[in-house]
Amino acid sequence: MRWFGFGFNAFGQIYGQDKLLEGECFENEQEVKVSSPTELTAQEDRSDCRLKTDCQIRASWSRRASLYLNGDSCVCLSGFVSNESCGSPVKESRGCKDAIISESYLILAFSDRLESWDLQKKETSPSWSMEIKTDPEISGTPLNLPLVPGGYIATKTPLYRSLSPHLRAKSLALSSEHAILLSASGTVYTWGLGSHGQLGHGGLTPEEEPRAVEALWGMPMSCVATGGWHSVCISDGGDLYVWGWNESGQLGLPSRGLRKAMQQQSSQQQEESPCTSTAEEGETHEEVFISIQAFPALLDITPSCEVSTVSCGCRHTAAVTTTGDLYTWGWGDYGQLGHQTLISSDEPQRVELFKEQQMRVVDVVCGAWNTFASVVKEEVAGP
Amino acid sequence: MSKDVSLMDTLWTKISAVLPKDEEQFPLPFGDIVESSVVEMLRRSRRQLYSDTTSASRMLTAKIILDFSWEKLNTGTWRHVDKEWRRVYSYGCLFKVAALCRGDPSAEDVLEALRTCDMGLLMGAAIMEDLLQVIVRILQGDVRKSTKEEDSEHPEVKRIKMECPHVPVIREEVAIPRVKRPSLESFNTNYLLPLKPLILEGTIEHWPALNQHPWSIEYLRSVAGCRTVPVEVGSRYTDEGWSQTLLTVNEFIDRYILNKDGVKGSGYLAQHQLFDQIPELKADIRPPDYCCLGEGDEEDITVNAWFGPGGTVSPLHQDPQQNFLAQVVGSKYIRLYSPEDTDKLYPHQSQLLHNTSQVDVENPDTERFPEFAKAPYLECVLQPGDVLFIPVQHWHYVRSLELSFSVSFWWS
Repeated sequence: MRWFGFGFNAFGQIYGQDKLLEGECFENEQEVKVSSPTELTAQEDRSDCRLKTDCQIRASWSRRASLYLNGDSCVCLSGFVSNESCGSPVKESRGCKDAIISESYLILAFSDRLESWDLQKKETSPSWSMEIKTDPEISGTPLNLPLVPGGYIATKTPLYRSLSPHLRAKSLALSSEHAILLSASGTVYTWGLGSHGQLGHGGLTPEEEPRAVEALWGMPMSCVATGGWHSVCISDGGDLYVWGWNESGQLGLPSRGLRKAMQQQSSQQQEESPCTSTAEEGETHEEVFISIQAFPALLDITPSCEVSTVSCGCRHTAAVTTTGDLYTWGWGDYGQLGHQTLISSDEPQRVELFKEQQMRVVDVVCGAWNTFASVVKEEVAGP
Repeated sequence: MSKDVSLMDTLWTKISAVLPKDEEQFPLPFGDIVESSVVEMLRRSRRQLYSDTTSASRMLTAKIILDFSWEKLNTGTWRHVDKEWRRVYSYGCLFKVAALCRGDPSAEDVLEALRTCDMGLLMGAAIMEDLLQVIVRILQGDVRKSTKEEDSEHPEVKRIKMECPHVPVIREEVAIPRVKRPSLESFNTNYLLPLKPLILEGTIEHWPALNQHPWSIEYLRSVAGCRTVPVEVGSRYTDEGWSQTLLTVNEFIDRYILNKDGVKGSGYLAQHQLFDQIPELKADIRPPDYCCLGEGDEEDITVNAWFGPGGTVSPLHQDPQQNFLAQVVGSKYIRLYSPEDTDKLYPHQSQLLHNTSQVDVENPDTERFPEFAKAPYLECVLQPGDVLFIPVQHWHYVRSLELSFSVSFWWS
């Protein structure tokens, strides 16, 4: 499997790390904003991570973690990292089972413990660690970071938070403001701040405890994801539901802010005078713009296609269909939509490059301002 | 032509004169909450400021800093946003402004720089001894110079957008009492301590806003025309279509006061600390002497501007502090209800709006809100020169009858 990345690359977290000196970042637009999917290469001459091993990707704002889990498992970091560790496996990660990365720390899960390593300081011991109890009562909970037996790892301290076992948590997605949990029965729970409608209960008020999203009652969900201020989930039948803030079109619903910005851009480019104000009046009053969607809404990405997995950056969303296509929408200023432009979009669009090169997208993982997609070669249908 | 070029050349000279001389003298102190990757970006911007690089590179680094800190500013509640992130945002604005004004900036670049300074002043926190405020003054001077010739030819058309036929007649029995220049003692004894509303007359006659610089549309344009301010759009904040937007004062005046482009809907420059943003206007007003009867210092007084056309409405609501509402331009109809009668005023249940009544005061739904008609009230038409004392937690409803500019002082 091969991984491609696009979007924010100022720290070389997608490509070009070898060109940068320690702590440096790219300055010119082409390198900072990667708008076309670019293949990730493992720097095998500087590491002993097997190139052919399947790897998983985790990404924060300034870094990317490649997680190699077969055999001699380890994590390799790229982006804003010290020169020595760039490309080489994080030695403290040997033998880990899973990892998540935030802007300030790397959480490693081992079979008997969890460790948090501060990415900003060079230390020889983890800044926090916790034993994983193999309690028969909760051993059924699979390790699925940020879910851990009995609870989860939060985005800020205190790191470990407990979760009621009756929730039967199967997977969990977190942003800095809110959380969305998928239970074994396919029920979706949300909690945290809700001022942008991201909890999906129809209002803007916060929830201290997990609360079931009633609008999705009776429809088992199979996948959940969070952006900075929005939430998405996929039903068992492959339908995509979205809710939360739509200021950059990240919900795939008409966004007024986006249309206005596009109008301003195009009117600035017109050399002739005078730009009459009809441009604004022209936006017909029939079109309904959504800036906050407080209840889940069904998003039709493309007719007759099922969604298999979805991931969100801060202000954009990326979804993979069962037919192996990748669709993206939302904020695109850094090329994170992968359409070879820097334009944001409130309409899901297919990333054509994969189609053109006959690649089948199988997974997608988003960092804050970028997107990583794993592909396999499309099997050519026989005659 | 050459005159224009020489004006623009000196802009960068003036701006670099207020910046630190070199990188070493440019402080970038941040607490632990700002991640080292972000500090690296800030250091990069600082380096680019003093080195030879492209304008595009400088703008890009500034954009990264602004985009990242913007996300922090929008995370959690505004009150809890760490001040460090607001400082980072201000630094982003500073670096962007420096990149825009370098060399030979166009008129659009200068306006964009002004707008950027204002964004830093509105959303950021003071950095480098309020450097953005210093730079905004330089930029304003530059804009004034280059637009001087254009302005003088267009006399201001004073069209008021909304007709306001309904000027209420105030009945004697429910009129808010008026006293001319009450003594501190008598105000304290008869009104502040018992929490009784009062209109104080003759207490702001000395304000420059009513004397040397009488506030008018022309004056506001000249002092603050190109400055960006938050504007409330939509008839009242309890309405579904209500929103906030950012406009320059000129745009606000053109669109919502003079209605030049025929846009429907009302706009109100409301509840904004305009006087922190524009010190020239602050110099035109004075906090009422009576505020000294409270517990706080002068710094603790929150001063807000309320500027809009006729017809703007603030729905019936209450505030957690004492209020002096000074009327400078135009008139407003105001009705007050005592907090003792809150049970007849049907406040919203939600946490967000629990200080706001559901009732439309001048057109109440008597079926949904039957008790409202029984609630006693006081009312007035507030005129220029009047100052209304609204005691803490007193419910108040305000409708402007014509172009209006008021200044409110919240104190404890």
